[in-house]
Amino acid sequence: MFNKKLLWMMLAAILLIFAACGPSDSADTEDTPDNSTEDTATETEEGSEDNEMEAESEEATLTLWHIETGPSEEAIETAVQRFEENNPNVTVEVSQQENDPYKSQLSVAMGGGNPPDIFHSWGGGWLKQFVDSDQVVDITDSVDASIYNEAALSVSTFDDQIYGAPVSMDVVPVFYNKDMFEEYGLEEPETYQDLLDIVQTLTDNDVTPFALANQTKWTGSFYLMYLAERIGGPELFNEAFERSGRTFDDEAYVEAGSKIQELVDMGAFPEGVNGMNYDTGQSRQMLYTESAAMMTMGGWLVNNVRDEMPEFEEKLGFFLFPSVEGGEGAKNHVVGGVSPVFSVAQQSEHPEIAAELVNELASLETATEMSNNAGSISAVNGVEYEDSYIQEMSELLESSEAMQTYYDQTLPPELAQVHLDTTQALFGLSTTPEEAMAEVEASAQEVIEE
Amino acid sequence: MNRSQEVSLDTVRSGVRKKKKNKDTWAIIGFIAPAFIIYGVYVIYSIFMTFYYSMFDWTGIDANMVFLGLENYVRLFQDGVFWTSIQNNFLLVIASLFTQLPIGLIMALLLFSPIKGMRLFRSVYFMPFLMSTVAIGILFIFIYEGNYGLLNAVLGAIGLESLQTAWIGKESTAIWAVIATVCWQFAPFYMILFRATIVGIPEELYEAADIDGASGWQRFKSITLPLLMPIIITSAILSVIGSLKYFDLIYVMTGGGPNNSTELMATYMYKQTFTNFNMGYGSSISFSMFIIALIVTVFILLGDRSRRGNE
Repeated sequence: MFNKKLLWMMLAAILLIFAACGPSDSADTEDTPDNSTEDTATETEEGSEDNEMEAESEEATLTLWHIETGPSEEAIETAVQRFEENNPNVTVEVSQQENDPYKSQLSVAMGGGNPPDIFHSWGGGWLKQFVDSDQVVDITDSVDASIYNEAALSVSTFDDQIYGAPVSMDVVPVFYNKDMFEEYGLEEPETYQDLLDIVQTLTDNDVTPFALANQTKWTGSFYLMYLAERIGGPELFNEAFERSGRTFDDEAYVEAGSKIQELVDMGAFPEGVNGMNYDTGQSRQMLYTESAAMMTMGGWLVNNVRDEMPEFEEKLGFFLFPSVEGGEGAKNHVVGGVSPVFSVAQQSEHPEIAAELVNELASLETATEMSNNAGSISAVNGVEYEDSYIQEMSELLESSEAMQTYYDQTLPPELAQVHLDTTQALFGLSTTPEEAMAEVEASAQEVIEE
Repeated sequence: MNRSQEVSLDTVRSGVRKKKKNKDTWAIIGFIAPAFIIYGVYVIYSIFMTFYYSMFDWTGIDANMVFLGLENYVRLFQDGVFWTSIQNNFLLVIASLFTQLPIGLIMALLLFSPIKGMRLFRSVYFMPFLMSTVAIGILFIFIYEGNYGLLNAVLGAIGLESLQTAWIGKESTAIWAVIATVCWQFAPFYMILFRATIVGIPEELYEAADIDGASGWQRFKSITLPLLMPIIITSAILSVIGSLKYFDLIYVMTGGGPNNSTELMATYMYKQTFTNFNMGYGSSISFSMFIIALIVTVFILLGDRSRRGNE
């Protein structure tokens, strides 16, 4: 008897606490004082103007999450400083996040109702997921769309509304060590057969041809994206994604998969490639120590090199992934993407001020600094490149006839995960290309056609 | 007269007792309530909410929840990766029970041997448990590395080139490499538990055994081990539950890969919930984890009770 009573009292106490924590309650308390003050106050426009004035001069703290490192991080910090000087009432808390856990951290923060005011993304399917859930502010009216590169802005534009402002773009070339190529008498490949010959020469000399850390998965995905494009042409992915023609289990995808496994069999990648992590620098170490000669990686590799081993930069050359004989793609089609894209979270308390900060982050000044110091192509028009590297990269992008955005950023997250998992399995030789592609297609039917 | 006096005395006494009891009740509630409320909110309530969420198709970031009933569980039982993760969890449970506890016990016993510099060994043995899990994870990633890792270099130096492999890059070896690291990290924890208990065993028992001419092994078998039994049971429960809920090192070292071969229930739940935006499905994994851990714990406790009953 006694125990039961006690139990009931505690349960009642818990219920009371939940009632107090309920979300509806807090909304009520927010509403009521507003209404009452408005009602009792002068009830004229003057009163509301006063309130607005107050709101503008009010102290505001914004949080910004980004994932930049090295020189691009500095560019972000300078932009924030400029913003704080122009807006003395605003304090910006900048929080740098690690690349891989960032995605889950942001979704936890969004779901938990405590997201940063301004957040980084890569546009595409991942950002769209948040847009679809009403978590992102439509900033079409606050940004000047005309200053941005059209292709770059397209990754954060959904239904003609802009949900994020791009700062930089990247292309993914094959980087190589010029000294080592010279040592073994190698030249930049024109065709896939040339590339296979290079791989053969390098393995004969006990050099790992490609440095690749594929625990991270998106790193290996570059090879699949390039091979699929070179075999199936630039429309292959769009047709499969938009369900308007070829599908993810198309012959071109299967062939791309078997070409990857052919490379694995030749020893083109390091031992245990699926256990190595890009973020801890395992593949770059191989490049720096000259135990590997090439690496298919985004232009940000230059940024990493300048940060980690500046003297290596002079040895670094790059070429575009060669075309495959008989394939529909061409050598001047690039895989690339946009990063960072900055967006404002719907739950932000100061969305207008946050949108201003987005404008500062995605300004010509920031883009110029990032391009010249960090090796990324500007997404803002009119940057004059000082850096010869980036000049070259930018020309590469301008001269390319087609740009394929990263699958894992473009596809909806669940399908992206299947793509990444199956590609990793291909590298581990634990699945056949047919099986892998059938799995992606099955998931696509489930996720996209829903 | 007499009788009525007794009765009245009784009622007075019971009245006093009742009053005292009431006072106690409030004191007890006062002491229990704060902890119980926190426990209720963060454990009991969360368990029910997990089950509630598991019946929906929900991304976790928006307001749109579609009721599915138990469909998530049906899907779960047909999900190959989930079965792999259960299998890995039980591998980890078995490995933890049969390596961490014995190694912990051996290390605890070693610490009582009369060797100079014992205090140094004690610190060294305990060190792994003091290191942060992420640091351990990254350290072992480099040790297991296939191309320039320490482990392969050692194998090469002692002429075992044939055993060299990319330990965490291969599906067949990855889970064992991580399990070995987990055991390395946690064995010292049990060592400290066992050592503390052994210190508490009365010296007289050993003296008596010496007088009876007991050998070292007999002393261990008949005194140390029986007196350690309760703490061994406790450690076993901690170890089993810990292994069923394990997450950290897998997340740091392999991220569940390659090709889901090292996925545990907790890492798979995390992946589904936060990477794939399947809060509902993730919750069903989470709730299944809870049920499995609950069943296992009940079995261990029942086993322990029958053991005590036998004694």
